[in-house]
Amino acid sequence: MSGLTNSRSRGLAVFLLVLPLVLFLLSLSIGTYGIPPRGLLKTVLSVVSPASQPDVPAAYRDILLRIRLPRVLLAMAVGAALSVSGASLQALFKNPLVNEYILGISSGAAFGAALSLVFLGRAFPPQIAGFVFAVAAVGAVLLISGQAESHFITLLLTGIIVTAFFSALLSLVEFFASPYVLQALFFWLMGSLSLASWKDLYISLPLIAAGLFVLYLLRWRLNVLSMSEEEARSLGVNVRREKILVIGAATLITAAATAIVGIIGWLGFIVPHLVRMMFGADNRRVVPLSAALGASLMLVADDIIRGASAFEIPIGILTSLVGIPVFLILLKKTRKVWL
Amino acid sequence: MSVRVVNLEFAYPKFSLHVGGLTFEKSKVTAIVGPNGAGKTTFLKCVGAVLPIPKGSLFIEGRDLASLRSRERARLICYVPQEHDTTFNYTVSDFVLMGRAAFVSPFALPSREDTEAAAAALDFVGLAGYADRSISELSSGERRLVLIARALAQQSDILLMDEPTTFLDPKHEAEIFQLIRKLADERAKTILVTLHSLEMAVQHSDQMVFMKRGEVVAHGKSAEVFEDSLLERVYDMKMKIIEWEGRKIVLR
Repeated sequence: MSGLTNSRSRGLAVFLLVLPLVLFLLSLSIGTYGIPPRGLLKTVLSVVSPASQPDVPAAYRDILLRIRLPRVLLAMAVGAALSVSGASLQALFKNPLVNEYILGISSGAAFGAALSLVFLGRAFPPQIAGFVFAVAAVGAVLLISGQAESHFITLLLTGIIVTAFFSALLSLVEFFASPYVLQALFFWLMGSLSLASWKDLYISLPLIAAGLFVLYLLRWRLNVLSMSEEEARSLGVNVRREKILVIGAATLITAAATAIVGIIGWLGFIVPHLVRMMFGADNRRVVPLSAALGASLMLVADDIIRGASAFEIPIGILTSLVGIPVFLILLKKTRKVWL
Repeated sequence: MSVRVVNLEFAYPKFSLHVGGLTFEKSKVTAIVGPNGAGKTTFLKCVGAVLPIPKGSLFIEGRDLASLRSRERARLICYVPQEHDTTFNYTVSDFVLMGRAAFVSPFALPSREDTEAAAAALDFVGLAGYADRSISELSSGERRLVLIARALAQQSDILLMDEPTTFLDPKHEAEIFQLIRKLADERAKTILVTLHSLEMAVQHSDQMVFMKRGEVVAHGKSAEVFEDSLLERVYDMKMKIIEWEGRKIVLR
């Protein structure tokens, strides 16, 4: 256990697991067009049985079902996906500084999705190319840095190089994009939930759910995989196979998220840290609680964006602006203790 | 269980290991000694199949180790590293529980039985009260014991220990050797241990293997094989063994 006593930590864990549900309901009513809780309830009832609630304004239904619900669901899915992906990769690479961005996954996915949007149009799901290039990027990072367990510095430098390469390719794609597509691309790259539509969700949500489920099942195994490779092998783990499984699932959920919301930095980095600080390193707790906390923070961030200003700041900018100072404070305050 | 090495070869870019025929029996402690760079740890890692070994070079009760699946192998043989350096600060109980990995499907959580096995292992090394402490709070000697507890939770009959007493004070060193003896005697484990201290090696082992430059120079019963001339040959320096109260002490 970390600093928390058993009962306090259990209470906090329950709170964290319930939090996304509460925030989910709250988020549905927040926005430029506020919907009071009663209106929310009535609208939900009117969907279930239209005859029972004849007086529900049509605007409520439209806003709730067509705009807000997909957006809120997407925020939760993306928050959970990035956080769990970060937690898993950190355990696998035995380093709390690893994240999907360092491994090139984000830039690969962003390039793939942009390529798809520019050359294949919005009708073609960008998740496919996003995933393909995310795999290519992480594969390149692992191959070039030798083996996955090589020194962190090597991994970091290779990640920087591969990320730079895919960023250059992305610029090339932007160069060929029409001004109209370019504008959309620009917003999307900064990380934005405003483009959320059911069509995107139909593809990304199942992919994220599947990847999250695999990583959730593997949560105890992640403890064993966080040992040195020799130790893990001696403990009876087929290291190569399970490593591919974890990287594959983490890449899938990151790519599925990035393909529709762009690059949202720092969440996958900070959320697992916070969870480890509160609950210790055991991934049986870190994985589900990172999902809950990630989903909650993403909802809060999106609520702030939707509620605070008339125009929308891309959420990726907000997470970075808040995330970086938080990270620095954590680093200074705790040094290596929470590792 | 007995381990039979037939013709083991392993090569790094600037080092190669070659071990001909050797057998390790159950309930026996074998000390592997030799100068730095002799290949003791490499040999141990090969026996534990932590390093890749060719087929037909190592047999446990007649079964070729290289053809076993990871999980099957881990139930037979366990490599205990010298030190554990983890980034993540697990609790002692979580750490020992990882010894059950070979019994738990990758997609499952450890069962009550696994938890009990881990607790029993921790109890065996005398650290039952440490379950909720975190690994980083432990002393170096306690961490060694926790590593051994994890190996015990794995319930393999063959234990390979890489310098389990390096950097420990004499009291903790003695405790580890007592534990090793207890495991051989009470649990009938086959134990291979690499050591730097020749006195400790001859005192606590049944059999010794002397290595130098990747090869076995001599092996045999500890009391018989341990001689001045062999030590001089292995370490390239003048050494003399004297006896004091039934124990052998090396002067150099």
